[in-house]
Amino acid sequence: MKDIENRLKQEAKRLLESGEAEVVLAYGRGYDEKHPMPYAAKAVSDVDNIVFDEYCTFNMTRYLTEYPLGTKIAIAVKSCDSRTLIVLMQEEKVKREDIVILGIPYRDMIDSKTGKAIDNSTACNLPNPVLYDILLGDEVTERDDGSPYDVLKELEEMELDVRWEFWSKEFSKCIRCYACRKACPMCYCDPCFIDQSQPRWADKSPSLESNLMFHLTRFYHLAGRCIDCGECSRACPVDIPLHLFHKKVSKECEEMFDQVSGMSLDDKQVMVDFKMEDSDEILL
Amino acid sequence: MLKKIGLEKLNEFVSALIEKGTLFAPVKGDAGVDFQEIKNAGDVTLDFYNTLQSPKCVFFPQTDDMVRYRLKKETTDIEEISLDFEPRIAFGIRPCDVKSFEIMDKLFTRGGIVDPYWESRRKNTTIMGYAFDAVDPADFYGAFGIHAADTTGSDVFMVKGEKNLLLKAITEKGEKLLSSVDTLEDALEEDRKYFEERLKKGAELETRTLSLEGVAGKLRDMFGSPYWEKVAAPCLNCGVCTFVCPTCHCFDIQDETLFGEGTRRKIWDSCMFTDFTLEASGHNPRTQKSQRLRQRVNHKFSYYVTNFEVTSCVGCGRCTRSCPVNIDILTVVEEAVESV
Amino acid sequence: MHNPYRPIPVEITKIVTEVDTNDIKTFRLSFVNKEDEKNFKYIPGQFAELSIFGKGESPIGIASSPTQPGYIEFTVQKAGVLTSALHDLEEGTQIGIRGPLGNSWPIDYLEGKNIVIVGGGFAFTTLRSLVNYMLYEDNRSRFGNITVVYGARTPGLLIYKNELAAWEERDDIDMYVTVDKGDETWAGREGFVPTVCKEVGPSSENAVTVICGPPIMIRFTLPVFFDLGFSKENIITSLEMKMKCGIGKCGRCNVGEKYICKDGPVFSLAELDKLTPEY
Repeated sequence: MKDIENRLKQEAKRLLESGEAEVVLAYGRGYDEKHPMPYAAKAVSDVDNIVFDEYCTFNMTRYLTEYPLGTKIAIAVKSCDSRTLIVLMQEEKVKREDIVILGIPYRDMIDSKTGKAIDNSTACNLPNPVLYDILLGDEVTERDDGSPYDVLKELEEMELDVRWEFWSKEFSKCIRCYACRKACPMCYCDPCFIDQSQPRWADKSPSLESNLMFHLTRFYHLAGRCIDCGECSRACPVDIPLHLFHKKVSKECEEMFDQVSGMSLDDKQVMVDFKMEDSDEILL
Repeated sequence: MLKKIGLEKLNEFVSALIEKGTLFAPVKGDAGVDFQEIKNAGDVTLDFYNTLQSPKCVFFPQTDDMVRYRLKKETTDIEEISLDFEPRIAFGIRPCDVKSFEIMDKLFTRGGIVDPYWESRRKNTTIMGYAFDAVDPADFYGAFGIHAADTTGSDVFMVKGEKNLLLKAITEKGEKLLSSVDTLEDALEEDRKYFEERLKKGAELETRTLSLEGVAGKLRDMFGSPYWEKVAAPCLNCGVCTFVCPTCHCFDIQDETLFGEGTRRKIWDSCMFTDFTLEASGHNPRTQKSQRLRQRVNHKFSYYVTNFEVTSCVGCGRCTRSCPVNIDILTVVEEAVESV
Repeated sequence: MHNPYRPIPVEITKIVTEVDTNDIKTFRLSFVNKEDEKNFKYIPGQFAELSIFGKGESPIGIASSPTQPGYIEFTVQKAGVLTSALHDLEEGTQIGIRGPLGNSWPIDYLEGKNIVIVGGGFAFTTLRSLVNYMLYEDNRSRFGNITVVYGARTPGLLIYKNELAAWEERDDIDMYVTVDKGDETWAGREGFVPTVCKEVGPSSENAVTVICGPPIMIRFTLPVFFDLGFSKENIITSLEMKMKCGIGKCGRCNVGEKYICKDGPVFSLAELDKLTPEY
């Protein structure tokens, strides 16, 4: 891991020095060792502040849309993060030629809030980045962790009313801080529908109804786009397992359209592409 | 007056408290412990270090209904929601949170204009403070002269020993409450000793700290500094920090209507949100996240100090712990002051 | 306990469409309970929250003068949820009002001085309140010369047209009404407000100017008054911010440590200079 940090610093320094990148999006020191922070290095002198350890869970692609199109950006990405890049490129939010992708081959991240390892039950957890220019270490070898959708089994086996009860309880907890939306690299709408006042789509006060309006709409907006980085759930202060809903939607998209989101720049997103052979199931 | 009750009889005691008024106490949930209105004594826990959200909800709930209305063809029926709240008991409040109530009092009674929703609940509430005996790395209440077993502001102060919960009446209100509960026993000399020891131990616990000297003025002086852009770079602009904060008081007023029936209510809002200052004309004085983060920090450490001579922060560490990107308000203030 | 969030019931007794674009109307409101009218003591420059249950509230400057008893008036531009709903109402409808809120034009300070009123477009509402207050026969002698420069983009966008005409007839007020661009019906002055102010060139001797208008007008008008020798203490304006509670609690209308709803909306330029530049 220290090697990855060193390589990250090296590349950041080189890219900033040569002007290939105006900014390097990586990770920096936080208030203690267990709490690093997202970090934007803009000058060679910033590079020393860069760190990498198992707590650097942040999907840095979330910050890309804050920069004007055309900014030369180098970005550190782990597996799911690289898939976000592909989606953002498909949506023309960033251009391939503007981005230097620093791939991080590391899989055993730890959520600093819970102390638990991040695995494929809470994220996509592919071993290596899907897309990169420079890989900051040797590829991680594959291992059989099962499918990222295995975690859905319990939910899928629930009777309808039990499942409704499960989600009702979870969504009732929401305090509408919008951390999920703000942590999500795909949630870049400005303004977000939920912030509009004319019309106001849902009450501002938290209630099961208004919370559902917010979350279900968000799930729809992410159908065929979510790449299962799990940032929404990690950001949630009241531990709503949002990733489970996203995983379920992703799984259905995959089954219906035979495409995994954010795996290839050549793909067209399932919700914006129509093929004659597309499944009709989505209409039901 | 020092009383005690065996921990095995805690439920009995809590049940007795429920009889005395609306009880708010810590309850264990999925994400951690939080204050809730208690219906079942068994829900209450005293095994927690800190609650996820602050107990401000006892006086200032996230949604505070003011008026219910029914829209009719020509007229509107209005029903004001009564401010005659039942007596309340806030149980298990950390000393730094107790301090937050006093800070919020200043705002809600500012300039003689009293917010009746805060005030009537506040007047009616007996506060049962609770000593704790550990320090989280995010805490910095020491910076505000508060300690882990500080009895200031509590009506009753509680210390949990191995076998007993010790309760000391601090105010007359507290005394009245304790003497009205039969389940309590008088404390013995050894209990008294233990209680005092714990207060002493609490005062010795050290948190991170910060010198507040000149901070308000320095923050004001560096209003236009590029520092804010740098420090706000990781900020997601979600509202977690403000929602979990015991002294964040910003709210919105909304009419929420369904099929002609609705409620005018105060609802927590956050200076972190873009639409917080967005005018109907489209003008927004705080469009950048750096401006919004600066507003949060300056409001607490500068503007509030100017207006009320107290920093609007108690160092509970909640915002730091809950921040999805680990922004730490103490570090932000420290580095800001150093940068001047 | 007094509840400052409780709206007082008022009835819309008169609606005047002020402009040819139909999006600015003046609402005359009468108190349903006479007791409320007695308690609603206001000074020009203050505002109030207008309330329609189901739509919410909106802070609006009071356009009438306390010297006009029996009613209060608000001139409202259709913009957000509340103001759009208000525009759809008819005379006879009951709505709510909370106030009066905020500080006011500094009447005591203005007393004994020559007053130059400068207004642009829709932002003439609390200035109108002030003019009517000063012109009131019991008050007129308390103030020196009164000069008014008021402009709008087109003749159709001037508000309070009848009143402007009536003021023109008087000899105790100097009126300079202007439009950026006239039309075939317009026989009056053409020109931007800053230019007209320059032409009029009011003396800064024992004088205060009270300015309200769009930011661009204010930006170009201020240098004119600096050139005329007006000090920052003697240039007074009113700020606008998004507000909700109107009583300094909800936390959104602050500029630094000042709350526009409570410490404002009226500030002198000297006071504004001391505020953090974020409004």
